Amino acid sequence: MTAALEMAAIEGGYEPGLPILRGASLSVAPGEIVALLGPNGAGKSTLVKAAAGLVPVWSGRVMLGGRDITGLAAHRMVHEGLGFVPQTENVFANLSVLENLQLASALVARKRRLDLGRMFELFPDLDRQRKLEAGRLSGGQRQMLAVARALVASPSVLMLDEPSAGLSPKLVGVVFERLKAVRDTGVTILLVEQNVKAALAIADRAVVLVEGRERLEGPAAELVNDPRMAALYLGAAA
Amino acid sequence: MLQLVADGLVVGSVIALGAVGLTLTYSILRFANFGQGEFMTWGAYFAVSTLAFVLAVTGGGVMEPLGPFSFGWQLIVAMLLAAALTAILALVVDWLLFRRLRRGNAITLVIASFGAALALRNLVQFLYGTLPEYYSREIQIAIRLVPRDVMGGLRVTPDQMLVIGLTLVLMLALQWLLTRTTLGRAMRATAMNPALARVAGVDVEGVIRATWVIGAALAAIAGVFVGITLQIRPMLGFDLLLPLFAAAILGGIGSVRGAVVGGYIVGLAESLSVPLVGAEYRAATAFAVLIGILLLRPNGLFGARA
Repeated sequence: MTAALEMAAIEGGYEPGLPILRGASLSVAPGEIVALLGPNGAGKSTLVKAAAGLVPVWSGRVMLGGRDITGLAAHRMVHEGLGFVPQTENVFANLSVLENLQLASALVARKRRLDLGRMFELFPDLDRQRKLEAGRLSGGQRQMLAVARALVASPSVLMLDEPSAGLSPKLVGVVFERLKAVRDTGVTILLVEQNVKAALAIADRAVVLVEGRERLEGPAAELVNDPRMAALYLGAAA
Repeated sequence: MLQLVADGLVVGSVIALGAVGLTLTYSILRFANFGQGEFMTWGAYFAVSTLAFVLAVTGGGVMEPLGPFSFGWQLIVAMLLAAALTAILALVVDWLLFRRLRRGNAITLVIASFGAALALRNLVQFLYGTLPEYYSREIQIAIRLVPRDVMGGLRVTPDQMLVIGLTLVLMLALQWLLTRTTLGRAMRATAMNPALARVAGVDVEGVIRATWVIGAALAAIAGVFVGITLQIRPMLGFDLLLPLFAAAILGGIGSVRGAVVGGYIVGLAESLSVPLVGAEYRAATAFAVLIGILLLRPNGLFGARA
């Protein structure tokens, strides 16, 4: 079966000669939630940013549903069906909730646009705040809006960079429950997370990245108690 | 007194149009463009050429005044053509110069804009000479709107009223574009967060081009307004550059509404100060107002708080 998203031997980084990704590979099957884990500085965020077109890919390939999208401009990725929710500053704070969604909707082809009414059904909190400037939303509501903004363009794959960052444990639970609901609508999810426990609780599989390469991979349920996880996070080789 | 207010509103209209372009460029391209004044000059001179072209094409060779105005419909067409040509000029300058420097820091772009301004100013002198030009030699009789015994009275020419009216229409149109259209929302999104705009599907380079087009077209129209109400000179834009910056900063750099309000404040301050400090110091009063407002509101009237 063709992978929904495949990254093969990705090398890249922000500055030439200073690689952050050193041959990273991972594959996400259609309908899966895959958690991308790893210690600080492992290159998790850089890898999803490279896939999203925000960080140069020096070598390797990014395939979306079998199509090579390596090196496409970031704004073209949305049209190809790859959604990305950055970790911070992930909503347009100077636009209202509704304007955030209207903009994202208007930028993609009509056939790709998801009905905003459906989006408000999925995120009822946002429905009540649709006229409010996004910068005035609470942390949890902002994450919901950021996810909703990406979903409006009906991506086949949604990548999220630490959606739990800065949220209380209760809100993390709410956001992650909503992500499961998103997956149930047919969207494949790649989730970068520092919160290993919460990520493994909703993920089908997980990939652990260390120093720009994948070092461990397996079903989430098995990795929860895998001693190699702790070793990788503490800096030892698996 | 009333006369000074009216004069201030005319000057303020020109400054507001120029300052809007400046503030748009600043908020989206993140640098202060010292070439903005030159787009006003080029717009005014392009209109001299396009007016000659329109008159030649229509066969008359002479411009019949339109109703109470000093100019004919040919100048309206010439102004629109000049706005389009100035927009193209801005895109060419961006392509030749700014686009290559965008990855550098803002100060490089600012210095580059100084260079561009110098080159553009000298080029206009080379092509058109240094003698003042006029769109029309018609003499306009100012209409008395308020008798002399009421606050000194008020006389305004139809051209001046048109400048104020058209500026307000243009500003309302710009506000509509920024708040009600996808391009406007994309521009505001890019100003807020260019990286997020990219991943949301915004073609940021396209937004940058649109910003140049809008900013330069408004500057060109402002230049034509100066030509209609005063005269066209190679230093037209350069002389207005500091008031443009004062207006944009006073209103809150990056805020379109602020640039408009700032433009009118600067225009009115300059005009109302003439009886107090004399015409030679009128430009300085704009800065006194600027300093006063920044002491009270460091981010300007409508600027976002840091």
